[in-house]
Amino acid sequence: MSAWPKMAKSQEALATRDEPMHVQTTRFGTVEVGNDRLLDFPAGLLGFSSYTRFALLQPDEDGIFYWLQSVDSPELAFVVTDPARWCDEYEATVRREHMDVLDLDAVGDARVFVIVNKYDETLTANLQGPLVVNLRNRRGMQIVLSDQRWTTRWEIARVQQPVPLECVSA
Amino acid sequence: MLVLSRRRDESIVIGEDIQITVVDIRGDKVRIGIDAPTTICVHRKELREAIRRENEQAKAMQELPNYVTPAATVSVPKRHFG
Repeated sequence: MSAWPKMAKSQEALATRDEPMHVQTTRFGTVEVGNDRLLDFPAGLLGFSSYTRFALLQPDEDGIFYWLQSVDSPELAFVVTDPARWCDEYEATVRREHMDVLDLDAVGDARVFVIVNKYDETLTANLQGPLVVNLRNRRGMQIVLSDQRWTTRWEIARVQQPVPLECVSA
Repeated sequence: MLVLSRRRDESIVIGEDIQITVVDIRGDKVRIGIDAPTTICVHRKELREAIRRENEQAKAMQELPNYVTPAATVSVPKRHFG
C-alpha cells in the first residue's frame, strides 16, 4: 500500500467549498482541518466505539507519521503510519464484511494505516489491528487480522537518544 | 451467561443466523465451528482484547519522538502543520 496520497485537484476544490473545521486538541491547540482530512469511523476504534469522528493531521512533509485526532475529544489522538513503509510483506486482508461496512467497491480505494506505540526506546506498530479507510467516502474502521504472521507490537524503529546541550562535569 | 453442555457434533443456534458446532474434542481443547453471516466478525477473544489494550496504551503518546531506523538515521521534526 502506498503512502497517503496528495489530494487530487477535484478533491481540493470540494474541500474549499465548505468551511474548514476547527478542531480542539490538547496537543496542538486549535487546528484548522479541511474536509478532505475528516474521517468517519462508524464503529470508532476498539475500546473507543463512541468516538467516530477523526481528523488526519500531517505534521511534516515526509509523511512518515500522521496524527489521527479525535474531533469529539481533544485529548484523544493516535500516531499512525503506513505499514508498507516498515514491513514489505505486510498484507491486510480486507474481507467482504469490511468492504460492506466501508461501502468499498474496490480494494484499490482503501488505504491502510496502523497505530504506533512506544515501549521504552522502541516504536511499535499494531499490525494485528490495522485501520482501513475508504478514500472515496472517507469512512474507516479498525479491523482484526487473524493472520498469525502479524503482531500488535511490530517493532519499527528505535527512539533516538536526546543529545545533551552541554556537558555537566561531576 | 447461558451455559450449555454439548457433545461432539452437537450445535447451538444463536438468533436466526448463527450456528456454533462442536467439531472435535481432544484433551483440553475444543474445536468449534462457527456458521455466521459474513457481516459478523468472529475472532478469538484475546485477539480483540490485545488490540484494545494497544489502543489504550497508544493514546498516551503526546508527541512524535525522534527516532532511528535500523537502516538509516532519520529524525522527525517537532510538529507543525502545513
